[in-house]
Amino acid sequence: MTVEIGQFALILALTLSLVQSILPVFGAWRHDGRMMAVAVPTAFAVFALIVLSFVILTHAYVVSDFSVLNVVENSHSQKPMLYKITGVWGNHEGSMLLWVLILTFFGALVAFFGNNLPPALKANVLGVHGWITTAFLFFIVATSNPFRRIVPAPMEGQDLNPILQDIGLAIHPPLLYLGYVGFSVCFSFAVAALIEGRIDAAWARWVRPWTLTAWVFLTGGIAMGSYWAYYELGWGGWWFWDPVENASFMPWLAGTALLHSALVMEKRSALKIWTVLLALLTFSLSLLGTFLVRSGVLTSVHTFATDPGRGLFILAILTLFIGGSLALFAFRAQTLSSGGLFQPISREGALVFNNLFLTTATATVLIGTLYPLLLEALTGDKISVGAPFFNMTFGPLMIPLLAAVPFGPLLAWKRGDLLGVGQRLMTAFALALLAVAFILYRTSAHEVLAAFGIGLAVWVMAGSLTDLALKSGIGKVSAATALARFIGLPRSVFGTALAHFGLGITLLGVVSVTTFGTEQVVAMKPGDTLPVAGYQLRYDGLTPATGPNYTEQQGRFTLLDKAARPVDTIISAKRFYPARRTPTTEAGIVTHGVNQFYISLGDDMAGGGIVVRIWWKPFVTLIWLGALAMMMGGFVSLLDRRLRVGAPAKAKAPRPVRAEASA
Amino acid sequence: MFRLDSPRGPIMSARMEFWLIAVLLTFAATLAVLLPLTRRKTADAADGQYDLEVYRDQMREVDADAARGLIDPQSAEQARAEIGRRMLKAEHEAKQQDNTKIPGMQGARWVVLSAVLSVPLISWSLYALTGSPDVPAQPLAERMAKNPADGSVNELIARAEAHLAQNPDDGQGWDVLAPVYLRLQRPQDAVNAYRNAIRLQGESAERTLGLGEALALVAGGTITGDAQAMFERAAALDPNDIRPRFMIARGLMQEGRNGDAADLLQNFLDKAPADAPWRDQLKTAIERIRNPAVAAANGPDQEDVEAAANMNPEDRNAMINSMVATLDERLKQNPDDVEGWKRLVRSYLILNRRDDALAALKRGNDALAGEKRNDLVAFAKGLGLELAEVKP
Amino acid sequence: MSRKQKRLAVIGGALGVLALAVALVLVAFGQDIRYFRTPADLTTEDMASGARFRLGGLVEKGTVVRGAGTEVQFAVTDTLKSVKVIYNGILPDLFREEQGVVTEGHFTPDGTFVADSVLAKHDEKYMPKDVADSLKAKGVWQGN
Repeated sequence: MTVEIGQFALILALTLSLVQSILPVFGAWRHDGRMMAVAVPTAFAVFALIVLSFVILTHAYVVSDFSVLNVVENSHSQKPMLYKITGVWGNHEGSMLLWVLILTFFGALVAFFGNNLPPALKANVLGVHGWITTAFLFFIVATSNPFRRIVPAPMEGQDLNPILQDIGLAIHPPLLYLGYVGFSVCFSFAVAALIEGRIDAAWARWVRPWTLTAWVFLTGGIAMGSYWAYYELGWGGWWFWDPVENASFMPWLAGTALLHSALVMEKRSALKIWTVLLALLTFSLSLLGTFLVRSGVLTSVHTFATDPGRGLFILAILTLFIGGSLALFAFRAQTLSSGGLFQPISREGALVFNNLFLTTATATVLIGTLYPLLLEALTGDKISVGAPFFNMTFGPLMIPLLAAVPFGPLLAWKRGDLLGVGQRLMTAFALALLAVAFILYRTSAHEVLAAFGIGLAVWVMAGSLTDLALKSGIGKVSAATALARFIGLPRSVFGTALAHFGLGITLLGVVSVTTFGTEQVVAMKPGDTLPVAGYQLRYDGLTPATGPNYTEQQGRFTLLDKAARPVDTIISAKRFYPARRTPTTEAGIVTHGVNQFYISLGDDMAGGGIVVRIWWKPFVTLIWLGALAMMMGGFVSLLDRRLRVGAPAKAKAPRPVRAEASA
Repeated sequence: MFRLDSPRGPIMSARMEFWLIAVLLTFAATLAVLLPLTRRKTADAADGQYDLEVYRDQMREVDADAARGLIDPQSAEQARAEIGRRMLKAEHEAKQQDNTKIPGMQGARWVVLSAVLSVPLISWSLYALTGSPDVPAQPLAERMAKNPADGSVNELIARAEAHLAQNPDDGQGWDVLAPVYLRLQRPQDAVNAYRNAIRLQGESAERTLGLGEALALVAGGTITGDAQAMFERAAALDPNDIRPRFMIARGLMQEGRNGDAADLLQNFLDKAPADAPWRDQLKTAIERIRNPAVAAANGPDQEDVEAAANMNPEDRNAMINSMVATLDERLKQNPDDVEGWKRLVRSYLILNRRDDALAALKRGNDALAGEKRNDLVAFAKGLGLELAEVKP
Repeated sequence: MSRKQKRLAVIGGALGVLALAVALVLVAFGQDIRYFRTPADLTTEDMASGARFRLGGLVEKGTVVRGAGTEVQFAVTDTLKSVKVIYNGILPDLFREEQGVVTEGHFTPDGTFVADSVLAKHDEKYMPKDVADSLKAKGVWQGN
């Protein structure tokens, strides 16, 4: 089939999503059931058309169809097949198509699972989703068409960049997009609620699964991106507070806040306006993130100027959706019935506390990320805001939040008993103190901050276990009953506990590796040994090796234990890709339990030695294992039967239903 | 493949296949809008009913939690009361909504009609603006399998390159490709190809001379030490070839040794056979070197060499130049001709007049509009020309 | 607590957290803003301030000297001026003479720049964006 079908399907999807944007919303306004019903089939059809379009573009990459400009610019006939496919979204046009693919995927999911939604709300949600789809499809067709043809077709493509040919880099953008774009559903729900001017506890119940889904994917995407940077860049760091990382972290923070505030709204019908605002902000941050990264604004404000058409378009979409939704919010917020107030010491109070700190933390990250851009735009001064800024602002804000985590799930709704909860958390507190004391003892009281950091981590982990133990009645009832109750606990309770436990694990990893990790830069000659973390590391020398499309110098290291027996071999390499004349460093990483040895090779020395950078990274894998636990927690929560609310008996006999309800 | 016996056939059917699929897709998309609109009207449950469903579920949840002992009876009672209040409210809303419901359709027919019609209309006109339905898909494997005779020069080169990438020790292939590179002003590739040809096929006057020219071209026309050495090798390999001597003479002149250059050529002329076709021209050239007032400071240029060596009897460059000038003139009169602009840009590039090519691209870009302009820009980009290089 | 008190408690808490955040941001900005400079941009105050900078430019040809152990010296230039840089550690893969580089560190009293990080590559074009912009603005480098 010809490539042109892809282009045609793209345009057809644009037209259909235009209909999807207008007709259902108009129908909901006029209470016209048939117009509203258009939303569902169009949402499916738009998704199907984008899938077709994406498949055709991928096929063009696979068969190296160089009559497509996008393929010429980003592929090469000699590229390995896997990287031909991942190359589809390794460029601006293709990644925008992937973005829209995921967007319409979520639209179709809402249409599919939306039977329990009131028809007007469903029509409005899908309509608003259609607005987003229309804007982005129009952007693609007008300025970033991946199906642009070139005549005559060149015989070879241009790109074969080895650094981009990495499986981690290939997988994490789609995962990250699933998270970013997932929040578009929450955005659509929020705008739909504002349009209808009607918002209640049921709304929160409908939004929660979507928030959770997006959050799970975003957590995975961020963790994966972090691990990729860790092993591929060879710098030994796992988080750089790089603007691109911040762009994904901000929606995550706001999304986490949304997750918690929607809970308050669902249970207590409070915090309504705040939750709607948070839903708008989370997706706005996603949009901001996507475009800061995509348009290249982050490396420099000048990137906008190099392609004025595209840059202005992006700016227009951002303004339209962020500004428009906030204006609608300002206009409609007073008309929404505000929720009830509550006691500060209660479950909902704890969740507000959580929201307060999370959103403030988001704001500091936003300031740190955007301030350099603003300053450069206004004064032309180029500055950079680095890790110390974020450690100094974000770090302190997280401490009270983390300290409060174990209290939240244990407090009762409406009026909590802080003292009682404190008593029930005594065991967890004792464990945390024990950890502090242990670290202080082991480091001869030199690492006070680290001791408290680890204490905090233990506190969070033990706290979430306490929650599970108390809820299954361990210690109060017989073991058998406790087990039965444990198994019978709602999945969302497990989800909460698992996610909070994961947070503790990540914190433990972060604190350990920052305080107890060691880094040495030394010049070594073959046969030299170096003490690292109770082992002796011996450098055995360089051996040349050849890969499929590169040559490399492998530095071999042997890890010896105290009795000088070899325990492990570590191979770190410097690669050279002759096709692109590009050198890369392949870090040598060996995992012992949850700890890692990490070795990067540097320059050759005169006289046969080599500069080597060696890290000992205790507990480092906990950082990502914790994220995995958080994802699992979100996933388990998602499986909770309670989030699947049934649809009311269909229409034909509404009266008996009502009679039953009022009985 | 079947493509060989009727080259136009498969393309036509591919195009028809495209239009067929486009029509089917449009039809399906229109149906997605049309079907719900024509369905018989069913009364949906009022919005409040959906809310009630959620609250009933919450109620069950509270009961379950209370039974499990997760919340104390007092809280459970409070929660039940609260949910009950929400249910009453939702129920009230559901009733009210029933009364306010307006039966649809009347007066909205035009909205429905335009929505349904917009699907084919907008999509087809947008596609007409942006699409290129006449360009067939060109998977690389299929193009490689095509009959080589009907390919363009670039395609032939790419084919040869692909072949040599697989068989880097095919000396004959390098030998064929090297002068082509040189003529196409790709000196770096030419150097590489000549080196490979010499490595595999051995030295010859032709190859060393070509390598020397390529090296000089890489250096922007300056005859470097490397190039000079190559010309001397070529002269030694073929004592009767005048071309390397001209190049050596030019190199000497670049160092300001005009006398040596003239002597070298005179020496060669003296030994040359009396009926050599280039005798007269060589004489003039020597004259010009000895007498700088007459000579252009550059000494014998490429044209002299070629004419002298009787390689190219008709003045090819002059002819192309005049053709290009005609084309240029015609485009001034009749600028809406995208093919003409393409040819002009390419011709200037082949003549190594990059600035003129850029100027032509700019003019074409100003004269054309829409898809034609994009076509031209994309074409130029394929040749390595970017509009951004043009100074406004 | 009365309704009013509850509301006050929440608003007070929110303002408290905000005030804390603002204070943190201001303190952190005071300590951790690093200006980007090319050698010709540097003023004597810059050199004397002891503040951290990001210094960008091209690695000057013929200036890379590997010292004993892991120390490396080189000069960063924007073709107008050049600054001597000392760095102790592993240079990035794409560190080459006459290629763009961004170093981060501070000046010693004798005007040498002590870098604790060296970045050589920000994009596929082998030219860090900031460096490219500055050099273009000075008209000493053209590129795309």
